Amino acid sequence: MSIDTNILIGGAAGQGIQTVGDLLVGACRKTGLFVFAVNNYESRIRGGHSNVQIRVAGRPLKAPCRPINLMLAMTEETVGRHRQRMAPDGLIIVDDEKSMSEGNIYRIPITKTAEAAGGKIMANTVAAGACLALLGAPFELLTEALSIQFEKADPAIKEKNMVAAEKGYRAVKDIAFAGAFKWPIGKSAGRLMSGARSLALGAVAANVRVGAFYPMSPATGIMQQLSEISDTYPLVVEQAEDEIAAVNMAIGASFAGVRALTATSGGGFCLMTEGLGLAGITETPLVIIDSQRPGPATGLPTRTAQGDLLFVINASQDEFPRFVFAPRTLDEGYEIMLRAFDLADLYQVPVIILTDHYFNDLTTLTEGEFQAPEKVDRHIAFDKDLASPADAYLRYALTESGISTRTLPCAGKALVAVSGNEHAPDGHISEDKTNRVNMVDKRLGKLTAMTAEMQPPDTRYPESKTLLITWGSSAGAVEEAVERLQDDGLDIGCLTMADLWPFPQQHFADAVGSANTILTVESNATAQLGLLIRQQTGLSPTGAILKYDGRPLTAEDVIDGYHAFTGGDNG
Amino acid sequence: MVDKQAFDCDFENKWCPGCGNFMILAAMKTALAGLDLAPENVLLVSGIGQAGKTPHFLKCNFFHGLHGRALPVATGAKIANHELTIIVNSGDGDCYGEGGNHFLSAIRRNIDITLLVHDNKVYGLTKGQSSPTSDRGFVTKMQRRGVLYEAFNPLAVALAMNAGFVARGYSGSKDNLVRTIQAAIRHKGFSLVDILHPCVSFNRINTHAWYKQRLVDLYDSDHDPADKQQAMVLAEQWEEQIPIGILYRNETTSFTDRIDHLKDGPLVNRAYDRQTVQTLLSGL
Repeated sequence: MSIDTNILIGGAAGQGIQTVGDLLVGACRKTGLFVFAVNNYESRIRGGHSNVQIRVAGRPLKAPCRPINLMLAMTEETVGRHRQRMAPDGLIIVDDEKSMSEGNIYRIPITKTAEAAGGKIMANTVAAGACLALLGAPFELLTEALSIQFEKADPAIKEKNMVAAEKGYRAVKDIAFAGAFKWPIGKSAGRLMSGARSLALGAVAANVRVGAFYPMSPATGIMQQLSEISDTYPLVVEQAEDEIAAVNMAIGASFAGVRALTATSGGGFCLMTEGLGLAGITETPLVIIDSQRPGPATGLPTRTAQGDLLFVINASQDEFPRFVFAPRTLDEGYEIMLRAFDLADLYQVPVIILTDHYFNDLTTLTEGEFQAPEKVDRHIAFDKDLASPADAYLRYALTESGISTRTLPCAGKALVAVSGNEHAPDGHISEDKTNRVNMVDKRLGKLTAMTAEMQPPDTRYPESKTLLITWGSSAGAVEEAVERLQDDGLDIGCLTMADLWPFPQQHFADAVGSANTILTVESNATAQLGLLIRQQTGLSPTGAILKYDGRPLTAEDVIDGYHAFTGGDNG
Repeated sequence: MVDKQAFDCDFENKWCPGCGNFMILAAMKTALAGLDLAPENVLLVSGIGQAGKTPHFLKCNFFHGLHGRALPVATGAKIANHELTIIVNSGDGDCYGEGGNHFLSAIRRNIDITLLVHDNKVYGLTKGQSSPTSDRGFVTKMQRRGVLYEAFNPLAVALAMNAGFVARGYSGSKDNLVRTIQAAIRHKGFSLVDILHPCVSFNRINTHAWYKQRLVDLYDSDHDPADKQQAMVLAEQWEEQIPIGILYRNETTSFTDRIDHLKDGPLVNRAYDRQTVQTLLSGL
């Protein structure tokens, strides 16, 4: 039997739930097993209910799943909230004063055991020990993972945690768990990675030197990663006074010649939209990450959604070209950052990367080690590269491609004149009607070449009569659902998109082929990709599978949604 | 030596005849030439308003951005290339109204930028509404019974926040203004020059004659710019006399000088370093 076990560890914020998850993931790492971990928490620092779900399998994983095989509940609330998701042979361990069992619920004194080992604070370590024991992990694996976790800690604290973990491990040794498995020995090629880190690393590999941000969940993690990297790597991460300042700082830094990044969530992106337009009309390269969360306004700060697609495609007044990408996997998150900066420089346009809370916060293994690009081409000219004398340089010279030679301020004799007002080729304000038309045409004229940059959707079973179409971080759950529905003998495939704007009409039409039932699968309430498909291709999707409760999409959600759509009639 | 005519620009000037901005523009050219700064070595950043148009009338590199947002653009440019000489041209509405938060943060950062606020105490480009520095009671087409609240005092605010260079100028006092602008550009760190000037179209109260009766040239006084308490006294003077010149100066480490990564030169000169990046990627 192939290993595929889903573990939920739940409790109050501040109970160290995350640490249990890290220990478990750390142990799996040493065995060649694949892990996929997602965090669910409330917008609070202490109390409430939070959980981490870790899926462990013998094959690469693309998404979390709904059924729980093993629940480790530090609070009664955890049991109440998630009990209905237990797999038939699942097991629940609950922290309690004394040991007792009823059905599949085992009550054991986790906190009391921690106190006996030296402190209540180590309840999470006891829980981690119990968890690994139930999963059938050898004891050495636990101690190894603990050694890494407490590598930099005070030896006395490390020792106490070792004792606590062992007590937890021993406490459950008589409990039989159907989901236990024989732990393999091996090492996987990939790296343990979070979405936020994959994006930050992509930015660094793209030679980003300035990051400007204002804290906002779930984007803060990206900038925190960049900030950590800046401990040793020459890069400046600046916390701006607000998102408006953040985007304008990124524009200023880019104008002055470095690659600059800003990251925010939908609310912050709202504040950045005038800046987005400024980058558009001044043709200043800019990369903005919008890590979506449910809205509008404050919405659900620590939950996930894909509700900003149409917003970012249309954000800011009037019309100008932009790119919009939504990575489907962490490997793609890294690659898309490289592409985003290259394309921003080449076309002198803003690029928006759409991720979400689920994507940024998830932890899993990458396919392999990230490879730094051979070179980074900035498409910046200096005086010696200019076709005409430096004193005749025109920042917005009209060209066939719409792209004008870009040079940097104070880098030579050529003067760089840039204006957010409509401007003549020399950068000065112009209200001339012919010039206005020329400039709008120049900017929008880049769209043909920009569209040609778009990569086709990925497909699975594209010849199928029914196609599920999705974008960004929902791709993993959809692909898994399609595999399972195929296993059930259904004629179903999927098409997943990362390159969203300019909409790749031809690629899309080619990929859809002759499918007669098309359902979009999205984490929003109005099927925004479906609307976009209709607008851009004239093709009307048959329906949609939508999830907008703020929680990550699973294959089970997609499968249920599909059956609900067909009404049980699978043709 | 750079001649001030090097900054002349044949782009049609769009200010009203008699506007105080012409005098500020002339003072800027004289100041820049006096510092031997050539047009290609100057970056002007501006926002929106009549002051925001200044870069179009002075030959140099410029970024004319959004209303209120000149300081963040300038800050980003300075972080990317801290060797740039950056001057921000803003107005009282642009800087103290729309961009108030950025004004406060620029002071806190002590970013090495010279901020010239063309302060005519009224909105010009939108045709005569009150500005943050309009005096209480100032009547406009929109504030028909007069402005109901107190004027924003940029100098007092800057002093309260420990700004390192706080000055006031007047468009019609050219020598004083040139001297102040030059000192502001030379100052390592954030420098504020609030430049009063008449608006011939929309401000019939604070006219040239009104200012002339009140101006006191600090360069003719024994004011010590190191004396912060006295600077605060000067900052609060208005109705009887209006001091012009440097109120306060205290040079401390500027923002970009506090960042270790900038000690080896500007970020803009950092080429892509594949080996370091791959080590970073592999060393996880």
